[in-house]
Amino acid sequence: MTGHTEMGIKVLGVNHRTAPLDVRERFAHGAHEVPGALARVMAAGASGGVLLSTCNRTEFYLVADDEPALEAVWTLLGERLPTTGPPPVTGGAREYGYIARDRDAVRHLYRVSSGLDSMILGESQIQGQVREAWEASRAQAGPVLHRLFQTALHVGSRVRTETGLGMGTASAASAGVAVAGKIFGDLAGRSALILGAGDMAELAASCLSDEGVQITLVANRTQERARAIAERLGGKAVSLEEAWPQFATTDIALCSTAAPHAVVTWERVGTIIGGRRGKPLCILDLAVPRDVDPAIAQLENVFLYDVDDLQTVAAQATARRHDEIPAAERIVEEETDLFWAWYGGLGVVPTIKELRARMDDVRAAELERVLRQLEHLSPEDRAHVEQFSQALLNKFLHQPTITLKKAAEAGRGYGLLEALRRLFGMEPPE
Amino acid sequence: MIVTLHLVALALYGLATALTLAPFMGFRPAPRALTIAIPCAGAAVHVVAVSQLTLVGLGPALSMLALCLVLLQLASERLLRGSAVSFFAGPLATGLVGLAILSGLAPGAETVGARNTWFVLHVALSVLGVALLALAFIAAALYLLQFRELKARRFGQIFQLFPPLERLDQLNRVALVAGFPALTLGVLLALGYGAQFSGGLHVAKAQIVWGIFTWVVLGWAVWVRVVRHWAGRRAALASIAGFCAVLLVYVALKLTQPGAARFL
Repeated sequence: MTGHTEMGIKVLGVNHRTAPLDVRERFAHGAHEVPGALARVMAAGASGGVLLSTCNRTEFYLVADDEPALEAVWTLLGERLPTTGPPPVTGGAREYGYIARDRDAVRHLYRVSSGLDSMILGESQIQGQVREAWEASRAQAGPVLHRLFQTALHVGSRVRTETGLGMGTASAASAGVAVAGKIFGDLAGRSALILGAGDMAELAASCLSDEGVQITLVANRTQERARAIAERLGGKAVSLEEAWPQFATTDIALCSTAAPHAVVTWERVGTIIGGRRGKPLCILDLAVPRDVDPAIAQLENVFLYDVDDLQTVAAQATARRHDEIPAAERIVEEETDLFWAWYGGLGVVPTIKELRARMDDVRAAELERVLRQLEHLSPEDRAHVEQFSQALLNKFLHQPTITLKKAAEAGRGYGLLEALRRLFGMEPPE
Repeated sequence: MIVTLHLVALALYGLATALTLAPFMGFRPAPRALTIAIPCAGAAVHVVAVSQLTLVGLGPALSMLALCLVLLQLASERLLRGSAVSFFAGPLATGLVGLAILSGLAPGAETVGARNTWFVLHVALSVLGVALLALAFIAAALYLLQFRELKARRFGQIFQLFPPLERLDQLNRVALVAGFPALTLGVLLALGYGAQFSGGLHVAKAQIVWGIFTWVVLGWAVWVRVVRHWAGRRAALASIAGFCAVLLVYVALKLTQPGAARFL
């Protein structure tokens, strides 16, 4: 780690590697909670903050002193842990968390935004989540974090366009979309029937809906949950019995019920599908145990995929993405260098100017005092003395100026600047 | 010069084919820009070469057919947003250019007919028709391969690289429906040209009989597509049957009447 000082960029929080789901759920912050949480941390001494909260991570990006702003974050998160019962926690939120500082913090955010740190390698949703976090924290981010998040989005885009890290589909639900796409091409305007109203059905239906598929019906044993999903996705809730005739017209049937046996059987839909006159039907069976009788796949133009098939597609994509990690890491490293050079150079020029002005004031005052005592000197001699004082000042300031500029160019200027300001009693930077 | 230009085009088509087929040999797919730029460059050289050819003879006809196929490949890949057509069109065009060079391309004494509008239109429409039927065949073959992989739940290179079924079906339909009338018109223009300028038809009886047979098979493939609304696998098989009829009849006739002076 370079350029580390007490006031600098920090990231601290928890993610899918360090905390189990039930803990991450507790630490997750809704958009409405972000300003309040950041206000508490900033009251503890941070000069800027952004809170990134997704289902896989809750991270505070801060420009702050090591303590007590960091302590405030752990306290804030710790308050969300249960005081009784599992999970057993002795060290509070800190036990699940991590801290990265300065350059490591910058690199961490860049890896997050490019999908390198995601549970599903290379997933693209994180890019939008980083943008949302930045926008939700805009008022409290401050100039350094503004720049950091702006560049993080750029890094995410670069990684996705210049490498194959986002190639293919890495979850069973999105693999279902990819497979349907290989049958129908453009999915926009296609119709889908959803059987089941569980989380998996909802997620997969959302993926289809994002591609422009019209969710026409949501069929479930209990109508209430089906109605909620249907309303959200613009479809109609029906009972399972009402869904069977739809197999004659729908393009995609997504099945994910909790039934202990196959519900889409040859007896129920065989004849109906036979009347499609060769029109392709893609059936995505995400249920375990399976919802669809495998015999249905014998019908020509019926393309049936179960969860194992879709996981095979997803696993292939993940394997291909792994090959792209070195290229993605190179981009992250390049961009970290660029940011760090910018960050290191922040305030170098004004600080040098301020230092020279202060030293010059001291020189002028001391010169005036000495010249008052040496009144016998001729004007030429007085000029020589003044020149001498000027030259001496320049000599004294030459090496620190050069060193500071070089350090700034190498991305190590921030620490020296802080030291300089403290040593010479200058105001801390904005 | 003509042969040199054809050799350059042949090398570029060969390179493009190798790049396109690389993923099937375990190599990384070439950048998309490269798989477009190389056949484009080949086609540009080929256009210059074809512009210097006479329209008569087997070699020039094969060369024009290859050029037409490459141009249709480039156009269809824009429609399909992928380079799958070149898996078949690339080797086919490369082979046709190679055959054209072997058949002889040197400009001979230009016949009177080669300057006649009827003759030029006959050649252009016939070549375009055959190239469109070849494209329909390629789309149908790609469809059947992708169909087989999707039904068998295999998610290998074919699944990854081949276009979606519906786009292939659409390409097959467009190529077949455009190719059949183009070829028919090309043949009718030949008949008209023969009657007007050559003092009658100079074709063997076998050519007429087998030509009608081919036309009927192709007509059936278009009829089931357009009138009976066949689509998907059945339509792909019909299209393949039509193109195979054209190919087999041509090869059979050529074997019975060898020689490079005429295309047929």
